[in-house]
Amino acid sequence: MKDKKSSTADRRNFLQSGMFGAAGLGLAVSTSSSVVMAESDKATIKREVTNEVDVLVVGGGTAGVIAAIQAGRAGAKTLLVERNFQLGGATTTGGVAFPGLFDAWGKQVIAGIGWELVKESVELDGGKFPNFAKVPRSHWMNQVHVNQFVYALLAEEKCREAEVELAYYEFPEAVVKTDAGWQVDCIGFGTRRQVNCKQIIDCTGGAEVVGLLGFERLREEERQPGSYLFQLGGSHNPASKQLHRLYVHGADSTNSRTATLANLTGRKSILAKVRKDKKRLMHLQPETGFRESYRIKGETLITVQDYTSGKLFDDAVSHAFYPVDLHTKTGVRPKPLKRGIVPSIPLGALVPKGSRNLIVAGRCVSSDRLANSGLRVQASCMGMGQAAAAAATLAVQGNTTPSEVPLAQIHGLLKKHGAIIPGKA
Amino acid sequence: MAGSGVWAFAQPFSIQVIGLHALTGFIFIAVIGLHIANNFAPLKKYLKNRVVWLVSGLTIALGALFYIQPSPIKSILGLSGNLGPALDRFEMTEEGMKYDFVPSPSYKLSLDIRTGSTYSLENPPRLAVWLENQSFYHIKTLYASETTDAKEMLPYWAFKLKGWEEAKKEAEKKGVDLNETVDAVSGATENGSFDPADYIVPGETNSSMPYRVMIEINQPVDPTEKLEDQPSLIYQVEVDNFDPRTFQLLELVGYPVQEKNEEGKEEWAIYYVDERFGSAMELIDSALLSIERVTEK
Ligand SMILES: Cc1cc2nc3c(=O)[nH]c(=O)nc-3n(C[C@H](O)[C@H](O)[C@H](O)COP(=O)(O)OP(=O)(O)OC[C@H]3O[C@@H](n4cnc5c(N)ncnc54)[C@H](O)[C@@H]3O)c2cc1C
Repeated sequence: MKDKKSSTADRRNFLQSGMFGAAGLGLAVSTSSSVVMAESDKATIKREVTNEVDVLVVGGGTAGVIAAIQAGRAGAKTLLVERNFQLGGATTTGGVAFPGLFDAWGKQVIAGIGWELVKESVELDGGKFPNFAKVPRSHWMNQVHVNQFVYALLAEEKCREAEVELAYYEFPEAVVKTDAGWQVDCIGFGTRRQVNCKQIIDCTGGAEVVGLLGFERLREEERQPGSYLFQLGGSHNPASKQLHRLYVHGADSTNSRTATLANLTGRKSILAKVRKDKKRLMHLQPETGFRESYRIKGETLITVQDYTSGKLFDDAVSHAFYPVDLHTKTGVRPKPLKRGIVPSIPLGALVPKGSRNLIVAGRCVSSDRLANSGLRVQASCMGMGQAAAAAATLAVQGNTTPSEVPLAQIHGLLKKHGAIIPGKA
Repeated sequence: MAGSGVWAFAQPFSIQVIGLHALTGFIFIAVIGLHIANNFAPLKKYLKNRVVWLVSGLTIALGALFYIQPSPIKSILGLSGNLGPALDRFEMTEEGMKYDFVPSPSYKLSLDIRTGSTYSLENPPRLAVWLENQSFYHIKTLYASETTDAKEMLPYWAFKLKGWEEAKKEAEKKGVDLNETVDAVSGATENGSFDPADYIVPGETNSSMPYRVMIEINQPVDPTEKLEDQPSLIYQVEVDNFDPRTFQLLELVGYPVQEKNEEGKEEWAIYYVDERFGSAMELIDSALLSIERVTEK
């Protein structure tokens, strides 16, 4: 494995050569001024393929994108499997295009690849950053509004530059332990893929791979409601204001049936609102935003006490920052963290208990429910994604498992890629 | 004595007025003593007069009434320097200052400010203590320095107070009921009610709204190596009326900066304190808010 530097982007070339270097036949999509070819070849239309990779990232959402880019940039041969049609997950497909929080108490606490992507999205879109020196009247004022469309495009570009292979519309169906690591069988519509990998980073939001492998997961009897985001009346101006939203009570991202139910429920209530308010529907996200499903039971469990006291874990790899923010049937009453508190995320909370060669990142982080209500936000998920990938990549290089990689090595790699290490600022 | 007493009725939190009133009280007692000593014999004769006993009895009865304060008396006192039937008290203690605010017999709020190492009694800093609703609007000033430069030295408080005064005037002009209650959902509006008790003593705990206790403090002319003059500092604590804690410390929030908002209107925002600040951070050692609430069973 070699350590790749991020190559400079050539957007025009990217559009002309199509998706990730494939060559051959194409489907022409014409606009008034240019013709863009979506390339395909025998390999892409073949039903079954096999991949030999170092790191498999499952789920290309908020955390997964960052994990894949970090693994790729650190030299791991990386494949990213995403069951949807674009990158970004809740940030883009869910429409929660206002990641938070990168700063705490006037200082940046989460940086690295997540911040790079967010920053470039805002700059490319001509957007505005909050003034981080100013005390926000409310926590959400320091979230960064990104244009969800630009964000998804840039995420793809950065994956390509890091030589991450992307597989949309696919998801793992079975995972088997092998001598070298894992064999993961993925299916998509009209496709099957066998992935032989050394490490898996589960970034599915609900720890789906961990579930497939039978490791213990935590789940509440009643989950926080999801929300369906849309815009009624005035036109949707991306990255300016938050969209309208309706709670979808009982929304559950566990499987295709529960997700279908959430989408049907959400869309039905939006249609009812359109009729009632007699306003035009100007924007509709493709799916429900899911707040909560499964969390892993990790080597370490972050409790709300750890979170609100800002405990600095011995194996801390990233920061988190947000109020305790549990949505219930009656709404939400965020409980801000005490002045000066910045929680940390230990590596142990990303490693499913008793597992090897498997790590997670994102909202499924091992935590109790109240701690999770604060930990699940996007900047924190991005920080976790980068940390999980650093550990997984170093585990590949050291022929070991993420939790046995010396912490100093993980910190070193993270620092090299711009991340902020808790307690080392 | 009478003059300073009436003055204290109008400005119950002024250290100067209370000091003056106390002084005239002592002088008055001394003069009475002298008077009795000089006119002992004729005064003795008066004791036989029934009117003297009647007046003394009336004075004692009135004194007791004003001490116990049943509701009609309370409403008269309530007109003193605040907006409703609330009682406020200010006290200088050895370690600092103490403010009591009792908006109802079932709710007592006290703020204990301990002065820090750079607080000088000879040249005290300017100070304002006020309450804000959850939408960051001023609802009541509990205390503000009486110096002529107070508003200039405490610009954040002055800005908030001005907004409140304007909103109140506007509402009065429109004939809006100043004490109309705010519904919990749209609570995040401008001063929906001008009665602080609406925010502080909720009729029902369920419809209660959080409010903030704020302090702004500024020592005039206190340069540091990196600042010509340290601006005022703002401390705050949020009170959750669902579950008010008995004790809460106010925390340093930052310093005010004047800027234009998106509509081009001047406003004051708070910025994080950085390494340029020094002695200003030591003016207050601690500010402790205590709340005693009698909850109905
Ligand atoms: C309505 C709402 C409002 C929110 N508000 C805020 C806010 O104001 N600020 C903030 O920072 N955060 C907010 N959050 C939280 C935050 O957006 C999410 O918790 C966070 O984005 C989760 O990131 P993730 O990477 O864990 O999951 P996701 O971003 O959901 O990514 C998971 C990805 O995995 C894919 N996937 C799932 N299962 C599989 C599978 N089996 N195979 C392949 N792919 C799979 C999904 O398609 C998705 O792309 C909000 C969330 C919601 C729903």
